[in-house]
Amino acid sequence: MDVLESGMGEVLLQDVDDVREWMRDKKTRALEEKVMDEHEAVRRFLKDGDYISYDLSSMVRGPMSIEREIVRQKKKDLWIAAKFTLLDTTLLVGGGCVSKIDVGFAGLGRPLFEAIENGIVKTIDWSNGTLALRHLAGAMGVPFLPARSLLGTDTFKHSGAKVVEEPFTGKKVALVPAINPDVAIIHVNQCDVYGNSRVYGPSITPLETAAASKNVIISTEEIISTDEIKKDPGKTTIPYYMVNAVVVAPYGAHPGTVPGYYSYDSEHLEEFFAARSLEELAEYIDKYVHSTSGHEDYMEMVGGDARMEELKKAEWIKEGYY
Amino acid sequence: MSKTYTDVEQMICLSSRLIEDNRTVFVGYGMPQIAAILAQKLYSPNICQVYEYGAIGPEVATPFKRNMMADARNSYRSYSWMSMNRMMAQAQMGYIDYGFLGAAQIDKYGNINSTIIGKDYEKPKKRFTGSGGGNEVASLCWKTIVLMQHEKRRFLERVDFITSPGYLDGPGARENAGLPRDSGPHRVVSSKALFDFDVKSKVMRLIGLCPGVTKEDVLENMEFEPVVADKLEQLGPPTEDELKILREEIDPDRVVIGRID
Repeated sequence: MDVLESGMGEVLLQDVDDVREWMRDKKTRALEEKVMDEHEAVRRFLKDGDYISYDLSSMVRGPMSIEREIVRQKKKDLWIAAKFTLLDTTLLVGGGCVSKIDVGFAGLGRPLFEAIENGIVKTIDWSNGTLALRHLAGAMGVPFLPARSLLGTDTFKHSGAKVVEEPFTGKKVALVPAINPDVAIIHVNQCDVYGNSRVYGPSITPLETAAASKNVIISTEEIISTDEIKKDPGKTTIPYYMVNAVVVAPYGAHPGTVPGYYSYDSEHLEEFFAARSLEELAEYIDKYVHSTSGHEDYMEMVGGDARMEELKKAEWIKEGYY
Repeated sequence: MSKTYTDVEQMICLSSRLIEDNRTVFVGYGMPQIAAILAQKLYSPNICQVYEYGAIGPEVATPFKRNMMADARNSYRSYSWMSMNRMMAQAQMGYIDYGFLGAAQIDKYGNINSTIIGKDYEKPKKRFTGSGGGNEVASLCWKTIVLMQHEKRRFLERVDFITSPGYLDGPGARENAGLPRDSGPHRVVSSKALFDFDVKSKVMRLIGLCPGVTKEDVLENMEFEPVVADKLEQLGPPTEDELKILREEIDPDRVVIGRID
């Protein structure tokens, strides 16, 4: 199978057998309680220079409390999979944590674009679909998967994909390399103490991201019993043996929404969006991240229980969730 | 007489009329979301909107919140909730009839740029969001409709960066690149005019004018010269029904549709 064209983007390549070995040696199958606080989870499982991936976005069921903790711990030199991202990348870049972004959607806002325009962070352009597919390949234990997108575009040229003539019918297809992130951070509706997790509603790639990643930090709205999990196993999105840490984080997606549970916080989002430069974003981050000791403290600062009750009431759509 | 509606309202209303009923429509971020809601409320109640984040056939609840995708309103009363790899696969399989996208720049072959302005990728003059799901939508849906503000700096001979494919550099180029047969840009809706693509040359073709807009006005505000149809359709202004739904139900705060100056 001859390679006809290669994208110039840098790719984090990993040998599929090395990944298998990691999954054998480093992820326990034992039923161990994995509940810990966010400080410990991020300190233990995420280090400078890591490749990290999250599911959904800052606006919807995003792992915002963990992202804030990453900023709080001043992690450096991260490489981010920005598939379907909104303010997540912006926050992490604003916090000085990021050196490279695999772009699906480089949302959102001027501060992030300012960082890219000034060469503070490097981008490698893909698309949401091909980044999702790379996680699927990573979750399947194969080195690549084919796609019929990217072809013919500058997005392809700046990605790390390759075009080949496929060996069965001779059509040109793009091949995208598997991705096995060092760390996945995924916010879920419910999980048990071992990490069996439920995600309600549509999603990007929660299972693929968890399966493909070497370390998985789950933050959850609530802990439920394993017995409850076992009564309705069809609801389990992520099985426990993929998970390294469980962090209890009620309203962990704030200022975003957890669909069917609480609404987004429009007022807070406006304040976030109002930061039009890296400098203004740094002020926001000082106020809400560095001046708070953790998620609980942050929640007090943004209005505590009273505000959360309002946001719960504002989420009038319940059908299909829980 | 001064205008009683905004350019954005004109674009949204015009594009909402282009979606055939009983079709699947892959809806992109931003303005297309609003146009799809309007289409479903007024003209094509049985379209099946699909979203990259996994919602199939939602009856999107209003009002629409700007910058929002994948929340409970967006996913309201769907037929199914899936996830991204399945949605892109369905487009790749040929299940999705229309793609519906916005863009920063477009060129004469309908190539879309939503990545950078400038030639230096490492240090662009301006950076935008990049593809999002746009590359998949423009590559894999049967017919793509693009919504664009009509400005000279947006209608270019050649875009600085092809984020999502139109007809690339002309007839046969999509097929040569390996893109699906018979797919590609179908219509471009601007704030001044409506375009399709010349069958032979694959160059954008002017086919309709918005109210009060002349052919010269359209051409002066484009860097390239489009093919011009023999007969230009006179496009209707937003109707009372359209404006009522847009302003009262979908975007009462007018954050997207704007206000008349």
